[in-house]
Amino acid sequence: MDDTLYRFQSLDTLIEEVHTLFDQWERSEHRPPAIALRTMYLVKLAVHEWVANLIQHASFHHAPPQVQLRIRPSGSDVCCMIADNSDGFDLQAYFETAPSALQAFPERGTGLLILQSCTEELSYERTSDGFNRLSFRVSADQDSWLSILY
Amino acid sequence: MSFDLDTTNDDTTVVHIGKALDFRNAAEFKKLCQERVRDGSRNFVLDFSDTGILDSTGLGSIFSLYRQVSPLNGQVVFAAVSRPVQVVVQLTRTYKVFRQFPSVQDAQEALN
Repeated sequence: MDDTLYRFQSLDTLIEEVHTLFDQWERSEHRPPAIALRTMYLVKLAVHEWVANLIQHASFHHAPPQVQLRIRPSGSDVCCMIADNSDGFDLQAYFETAPSALQAFPERGTGLLILQSCTEELSYERTSDGFNRLSFRVSADQDSWLSILY
Repeated sequence: MSFDLDTTNDDTTVVHIGKALDFRNAAEFKKLCQERVRDGSRNFVLDFSDTGILDSTGLGSIFSLYRQVSPLNGQVVFAAVSRPVQVVVQLTRTYKVFRQFPSVQDAQEALN
């Protein structure tokens, strides 16, 4: 795992390609010793939830899909950036309304809340080159959780 | 990504989840489990020994199964939970709902 920008151009193969990367990083020879496996699994979960949301809900009607992923170790933490050329959406508004709409044992609607729960310094912005850029940090000391009614 | 299912007795089904339970196969999981419930299964052991990803949609499909069998006095339990799945269990605190066992055999013995 190094500070490399990975580029993906097909939504059909995106999730498989992302998981292949994580499978490589999970092997000790590809993972910096300072990054705990638990941290890596949280990063994988966060990236998976965002990519799953892109595949299922994003609108790319104006251009062929382009998705970029950068994962950078930062001590025992991991910083991530995922950019895409979809239409984007109001993530902050979603975070403000979604938790109160969750029912007990929810079947849908928890993906982005899981992402929020396992990350810090989460930001989502439109860039000058027409991409939406999600950035976050996964801390080795992460101890938050998603409140779901049971 | 399909699932292997074993029916161990009249009312217990073991589902070997395999590599993933996520947005790609959650609908199939729900359909297979619904069929087993219709055929009389009440208890489900979910074997996560080989599972690299359990995402929100996969978890939702487990909640759906739980809602289906709970009124029938059925149970859903987790067995051989892999480390990636354990991260999700802790993050969502689903250990409050689904008992966990070290192995499928341990889970089956507890349910019998």
